[in-house]
Amino acid sequence: MTLRRRRQFSGFFFALPAIALVIGFIGVPIGQAIYYSFTQWNGLTSTWIGTSTWTQAFHNTNLWTALQNNALLLLAVPFALGLPLGIAVLLHQRVAGWKIFRSIYFLPTAISWVVLGLVAERFFAYQGTLNSIIHALGFSHVNTNMLGYESTALSALGITFVFTMIGTNTMLFLTGLATLDPSLEEAARIDGAGSWRIFRSITLPHLSRFIQLAFVMTVIALFSALFSLIFVMTGGGPGYATTTMEFLIYQTGFNQGDFGTAALYGLILFVLTGIVGVVQLRLIGSDE
Amino acid sequence: MTTLRTPPAENDDLETAPPTGKNKPTIGRWVVFGVMVAIAAVMLYPFVVMIVTSLKSETQFLSGSGFSWLSWKDLSSTIPVGQEIVSSTIICSASIFLILLVGLPAGFAFAKLHFRASTAVFLVIVSAMMVPLQAILMPEFVNITKLGLTSGYTGAILVYAALGTPFSVFLFTTYFRGVPDELIEAGIVDGLGYFGALWRLVIPIAIPAIATVTVLQFIQIWDDLLVGLLFIQNTSDRPITVGLAVLAAGRTTSIPELMAGSLISALPAMIVYLIFQRFLVKGLTMGIDR
Repeated sequence: MTLRRRRQFSGFFFALPAIALVIGFIGVPIGQAIYYSFTQWNGLTSTWIGTSTWTQAFHNTNLWTALQNNALLLLAVPFALGLPLGIAVLLHQRVAGWKIFRSIYFLPTAISWVVLGLVAERFFAYQGTLNSIIHALGFSHVNTNMLGYESTALSALGITFVFTMIGTNTMLFLTGLATLDPSLEEAARIDGAGSWRIFRSITLPHLSRFIQLAFVMTVIALFSALFSLIFVMTGGGPGYATTTMEFLIYQTGFNQGDFGTAALYGLILFVLTGIVGVVQLRLIGSDE
Repeated sequence: MTTLRTPPAENDDLETAPPTGKNKPTIGRWVVFGVMVAIAAVMLYPFVVMIVTSLKSETQFLSGSGFSWLSWKDLSSTIPVGQEIVSSTIICSASIFLILLVGLPAGFAFAKLHFRASTAVFLVIVSAMMVPLQAILMPEFVNITKLGLTSGYTGAILVYAALGTPFSVFLFTTYFRGVPDELIEAGIVDGLGYFGALWRLVIPIAIPAIATVTVLQFIQIWDDLLVGLLFIQNTSDRPITVGLAVLAAGRTTSIPELMAGSLISALPAMIVYLIFQRFLVKGLTMGIDR
């Protein structure tokens, strides 16, 4: 065998386990999901029923409620980016003890969203911290119970989501700020530019790639990482008020035993995240 | 053998970046400091809630006053914390081991040993990073169940490994591209063979990348709910995060005990995070920060 052939053979051999694992546990199920979305399926037996799963699904109000909830939660994204951006800029001022502050701000990143969801449930509860704050501010007759009502539960989930994203996004922005050349700022300051002007014209453009990456990661988390929060905070309720696409998949499959429809909902989620994913791949690959 | 000191494509150290603000204390800087203390209070809120609530008995929690160790004493009878920590540890270690076992050779192959269609295959694997488990949940569940892997940890470990592999392959490939070709060729000429080159030359300089993958995956798997909830059949094999979530969703367990359990479950990931903070930052910004 020539050296070239040997190298190619070794390369293929080295990559094979990773290829097998990814195809077996991610690739094949995508294919199966497509097949099963055309069947009546309870996990054991499946009967081909053509497109009727699809027409039924699109007439199901739960699907539209879940999609609407996902769309409404997108309103949390500006906060999940804006607050960390502000925090990163503050940290970048390097006031006394900023490294300790940095560690504190990032600490919740290590904690499971199950645990953060549990704490958030305490925060929003009738006898929780939120009402204590409201009472301390002098509104002693006001009592909230945000997770208990269809009108407010999704907002409470969105607020919790913003909190859970702060650490990661601040980390991203701070890394971006660390690569900013301080002499640029100095020059602008000497030229008489104010702090806001410097932020708008130098800092923000420099951070644009980091903001794009944070945006994509935040949206993907919003579509596929809320399960833990919803599971412990609301169980999707009250009613379907906090049921997002990913939670609807779980409920349809495991509470209603309708595997075919759940597989179909999975495909819809796949397409949604796929669109965001293509954007991210272009961001990562854009300088190669 | 040649001495190796080629840290590829690593320059982002938060510690060494030059500061921007002036270091004289001014009123503005005091305001910044005050705001930062306030933010710190918000970010520490979950820990305060967990600590304070866990130091109450159920009656003290309901009445709102008093402290006791009762919830900590009774904890192990409500939540099998020790057993669940053992399960979490086994699942995390085995999954991470598998991820490294398949990820390192694959990264080496995609970076240095191009084979037919290797670029296309690489892109397919990296795209799998974008597939959320929920999207393929139903077929995955049925496959794992039919293979009989839901008894014990095997099913969960395989699913975690498969979900973690795309990112690790991407990270290792990017890292290994920074290793000079001559180094590998010299190793081959010395008679190491490709496996020897991987084991003796490439892996030793990949320690930072291995640390990044390990830390990120540890936190991710330790904190995960969905896989552990669905792919582990026996409740006695449950990892701690799943155990907590199921009790919490049941709404019958005493809140102070749940908080004590939460605190215990959060500790390992927090310690790992505090020690290896910078690897986490590197992993997150991989591919953009060069």
